[in-house]
Amino acid sequence: MTSDSSSRAVKTIATVSDLSVSFDTAHGRVHALRGVTLDLRPGEVLALVGESGSGKSVLSSCLLGLPPESRRTTISGSVLVSGIDMLSGSASQRRTVRRRLLGAVFQDPLTSLDPTMRIGTQLTERGVSAARARRNLSQAGVPEPTQRTRQWPHELSGGLRQRVMLAMALGADGKLPGPGVDAVFDDEGSPVLIVADEPTTALDVSVQAQVLLLFDRLRREHGCALLLVTHDLGVAASIADRIAVLYAGRLCEIGPTRNVLADPRHPYTAGLLHARLELDENAVALPIAGAPPDPLRLPEGCAFAPRCEHATSVCRDSLPELRSGDTGRLFACVNPLGPEAGSITVGAAAVRRAGAKPAADAQPVLTIQEVAKSFRAPGARRDRLHALAGVSLSVPEGGSLAIVGESGCGKTTLLRIACGLLEPDRGSVHWADGLQPQLIFQDAGSSLTPWLTIGTQVAERLRHEGSRRARREAAVELLERVGLDRRAARSLPRQLSGGQRQRAAIARALASSPRLLVCDEPVSALDASLSLRILEMLAEIRDELKVAILMVTHDLAAARHVAEEVLVMYLGRVVEAAPASQLFRNPLHPYTRGLRAASPTREPGRLAPTLQGEPPSAVGEAVGCSFAGRCPDIEPGCRERAQVLEPIGVDTRRQVACQVAVQKAVV
Amino acid sequence: MRRIVITRILSMFGVLMLLTLAIFLIQNVLPADPVRAYFGRNATPEQLEAKRQELGYDKPLPVQYVDFLGRLAQLDLGTSLRTRRPVTTDLGDFTPATFELAFASVVIAGVLGVMLGLLGTRRGAGTGAVRLVSVMWSSAPTFFVGLLGILLLYRRLGWLPPGGRTSNTLEATSTGFLFFGRLMRFELAGVWDAVRHLLMPATVLALGPSVAIGRTLRGSLRDILRDDQVRTARVKGLTERAVLVRHGLRNALGPTLSMAGLQIGLLLAGVIVVEVVFSWPGLGQYLDQSIDRADFPAILGVVMVLGASYVVINTIVDLLQLAADPRLRSQR
Ligand SMILES: Nc1ncnc2c1ncn2[C@@H]1O[C@H](COP(=O)(O)OP(=O)(O)O)[C@@H](O)[C@H]1O
Ligand code: SF4
Ligand code: SF4
Ligand SMILES: [Mg+2]
Repeated sequence: MTSDSSSRAVKTIATVSDLSVSFDTAHGRVHALRGVTLDLRPGEVLALVGESGSGKSVLSSCLLGLPPESRRTTISGSVLVSGIDMLSGSASQRRTVRRRLLGAVFQDPLTSLDPTMRIGTQLTERGVSAARARRNLSQAGVPEPTQRTRQWPHELSGGLRQRVMLAMALGADGKLPGPGVDAVFDDEGSPVLIVADEPTTALDVSVQAQVLLLFDRLRREHGCALLLVTHDLGVAASIADRIAVLYAGRLCEIGPTRNVLADPRHPYTAGLLHARLELDENAVALPIAGAPPDPLRLPEGCAFAPRCEHATSVCRDSLPELRSGDTGRLFACVNPLGPEAGSITVGAAAVRRAGAKPAADAQPVLTIQEVAKSFRAPGARRDRLHALAGVSLSVPEGGSLAIVGESGCGKTTLLRIACGLLEPDRGSVHWADGLQPQLIFQDAGSSLTPWLTIGTQVAERLRHEGSRRARREAAVELLERVGLDRRAARSLPRQLSGGQRQRAAIARALASSPRLLVCDEPVSALDASLSLRILEMLAEIRDELKVAILMVTHDLAAARHVAEEVLVMYLGRVVEAAPASQLFRNPLHPYTRGLRAASPTREPGRLAPTLQGEPPSAVGEAVGCSFAGRCPDIEPGCRERAQVLEPIGVDTRRQVACQVAVQKAVV
Repeated sequence: MRRIVITRILSMFGVLMLLTLAIFLIQNVLPADPVRAYFGRNATPEQLEAKRQELGYDKPLPVQYVDFLGRLAQLDLGTSLRTRRPVTTDLGDFTPATFELAFASVVIAGVLGVMLGLLGTRRGAGTGAVRLVSVMWSSAPTFFVGLLGILLLYRRLGWLPPGGRTSNTLEATSTGFLFFGRLMRFELAGVWDAVRHLLMPATVLALGPSVAIGRTLRGSLRDILRDDQVRTARVKGLTERAVLVRHGLRNALGPTLSMAGLQIGLLLAGVIVVEVVFSWPGLGQYLDQSIDRADFPAILGVVMVLGASYVVINTIVDLLQLAADPRLRSQR
């Protein structure tokens, strides 16, 4: 017992051994995991990366002892958390492990809390006292915890809900009820392992950075380990000690973050790295060739072989086993890459797409002037919530414009007005030739009709294609263009994964050959390679078919990649407007600089000090600069005068609404 | 919150007013002449005219409607042609029996529905059979199931009485709250007797609604149990039972309640058939007999009571839903 703490240090808190999971579905057997072995050490952050469908969520739910259900789920191998088998142990033991040692954060903050239960009750339900629940909330960075405990989930923002999820996992006074498990259990009763499945995917870059910082703090202060599932290598880079790369249910590579990112051994890891869009001026991006394999028909040998440049016949014949490389790294590849693979080679196919400049005399396809829109503020009788307070923009024919900003800034409202789905209170909207733009929704997947096959829904919009048969064929072609196959054309939306539904919705919008595509966060939930593909596709459509693009995103790299001009919005106003290249090289507004700093890069361990807090409510009339409450550069006078867009220099496209920034730029 | 409740209640009164208007208009377009009906065949034209004026049938429609509302406020719905008694007196006599039957049937529908719904969340051999049987019984006509019940449970097995509210012949024609009365007076044997009489008609009436409620509950439970919020609950280490009750059922309550509200409407319609089949001395039988004799004041009276009950019950269901789902409360 005396060596307790030292033995704990070498102990692993979770061990996954040769885990295989398969599901019987209507179409056949899906092998989600195929012999995965890994372990987690106390206080360690292990990032689990891979394209969608690679098995990340199945692995994380197995760690929680809650494998997904199907008609028949076959599991072999074991998952031990603190010595208890989370898959075949007794139900009560597994419950105890969950209650006392595990925490979880899921992707969608909207659905992970019970909408019919107050926040406080949801926290105390685990067995912690009310006082401790409040303390946990404040440790998780939730302001005014006492009031929060009385609130309902729908009254909180997405970022706050994710923090509540974390607070739910934090410690108790004394031991949590439940017999049996004593092995690794810190005195505070904090969890030893938090399983976070895409915890920041649904969040803004600013809130994402805050949540990552919070994870980091919990790790340092409480020593809890974290399994962080993410599709963004940038997120992994910022916080993970080790990275594990999963492909088609098998580990490709696992090792220390720095090594994996600097010189990946497995071609797939390198592919993921190269597919990532960076804000950096000189970075290029290259999507991974082909598509992830059909889980029903996995190849005999290395599942990556069909997409791999280095594949040989050996790869196709036998499954490559994990073998050790340098510095505690393991990889499963028979022809591993050399040490120089991390540096991005500008191959012939590499993409570096500056937004093509539209012709100087291009007519705008969309002109919006001084639109304003307010809503009745929730729960108030008289106050108005000013979602838009006078915004102007125009999109030239065949051009592209991106709008960036945190959620709640009025971006979606602006898009809805641009598409004629919402009437502005004042201001004007003009479409060239009166042609209504096509809108791709943020949650595009759920905009599909649930009872029609994907093929039918796309074909239905292809009116000009002539015969039914021709329409069907054209639909399949369009679907292939967004990376969906014939089988997807015959599927119903619910039979597809989230990413596939997203692609289908985009194909459907493209089907009616619009002059302007309006996209609300088109790629925010997609993995790097796929979102790069889709951004590429949008750019191609713009250049070849002269369809202009208006895109809202909180991903600055995506904006830089597609758009030649960018507007930055804050609380219903444009605070900075600039050509994309200038904006990201030299952001002027403190808000833009904050957003840029919060965007993850592939630099290991870079946890940006970032924008504090979240946008305040837009209820009531604003006096002075609306960013004043969060601004690091605030000066006397900022709160007195309303800030309006002013041009910087001779280029009238460069505008900023900040008196301090204007002064600095002039000096 | 308070505003929403007030709005719902005000709108309930609005709908009730519409109901009175509808009944008034129906009364007006009906071919039957209440005055002639009042006097019978051998009335003189003078008598008829005098009575018409006395009752205000010569005034313009809006005025007549106001008069109608005035009489309604004094619980005057006219006189039954058949029983020669004020319709409200008749309704007062027959409503309690129907209320008891409907109440028992709602309770049974709720219990059966929840059982069916919970059963559906399990996988296993019996559930398919249960689903088949439940679909069969819910789609068979009520009178058919009723007769089948009588043949089996009374004729064959002799377990339950074939009809009526009580075995006590002295009380056989009695009106009022028989079951509740006996319950209040703590007459246990009497309560048991009333229950035995209630059991078959109430269950027959409850079959359809119970299946609909069960199906809704099963559907929403199945969706909810797949939600992340349920995973969250499991990660907290709650037992499956706690997950099901505190999170599953709690969240399924809203949609299930709204289905129950719809079903109560059907149940009120079914009451008429069931009362006839089981000789239940309630509004249904009263209506049946009134229809036979073209007793329009009585018919409209029953329609009014059933319609008003439907409106009131649905308002209550609305308010319950509001209590069940905090998200509804914060909308305007
Ligand atoms: N129909 C509506 N009723 C009330 N408030 C709304 C409505 N639509 C949007 N809002 C509010 O307007 C603000 C801007 O919203 P939105 O356009 O969705 O921003 P973003 O796209 O940047 O997330 C938010 O505070 C939002 O709650
Ligand atoms: S084993 Fe072969 S096919 Fe697989 S990643 Fe390595 S080189 Fe490519
Ligand atoms: S005007 Fe002042 S407060 Fe507003 S952004 Fe500029 S420096 Fe910050
Ligand atoms: Mg939005």
